Amino acid sequence: MTAKTYAVSGMACGHCAGFVTDEIERLAGVTAVAVDVEAGTVIITSDRDLAVAEVRAAVEEAGYDLVGPGR
Amino acid sequence: MRSLNASDPKQFIADFFTSYMGELLRSDGDPALIVDRYHTPDVVQIADGHRMDRDKLIAHTRPVRKNRPSGRLEVHEALADGDRIAAHYTLHVRDRKRALAVEVYFFGQFTPDGRMRRAKMLTRTIPAARDGVGVDVAAENGRPAPDGREAGA
Repeated sequence: MTAKTYAVSGMACGHCAGFVTDEIERLAGVTAVAVDVEAGTVIITSDRDLAVAEVRAAVEEAGYDLVGPGR
Repeated sequence: MRSLNASDPKQFIADFFTSYMGELLRSDGDPALIVDRYHTPDVVQIADGHRMDRDKLIAHTRPVRKNRPSGRLEVHEALADGDRIAAHYTLHVRDRKRALAVEVYFFGQFTPDGRMRRAKMLTRTIPAARDGVGVDVAAENGRPAPDGREAGA
């Protein structure tokens, strides 16, 4: 189980957080998503290592931009 | 739409959001210019406890443009007092992925030329209307910006 923090731009409210969460939760292996709108971050917990490209694709599918890789 | 004082409060708030969203969606121009036509430089919006200043409003235009929402604003009630307005409205939205309705309790302050200076909002998502969404806000392009400049100017 790993948890990584990603920076996402453009989120402004709880609805934004919901849209981003919905898309990331579709990724195989993701067990939890925690969005901090104020900080512009998303903490993704997963039972496998996620490629940055697939996280970026999910964030962009929601309409937002991944601006920082997982840490 | 020029001034809150000279407008029906329900029409003012409907026109403000419809015109702002329409201008964002029908233009690919610099979003900062559009944000600035509708908001003061020191604008602060707090939506469900999330604070948005000018920079965050500009950043938020990117997902709005990408998701291309269409929708309509249904204003249930609005009261104005000087430069302040309280409104209860529902935003019916459909974008490329979903349909939703957001009920909003809004308290705002506007400049004499109709730009937003402060706003506090409490929102809740409610089931989307079965008949979908009404007018396309991108088509609502007949109204000038609050400061009187034309779209994309």
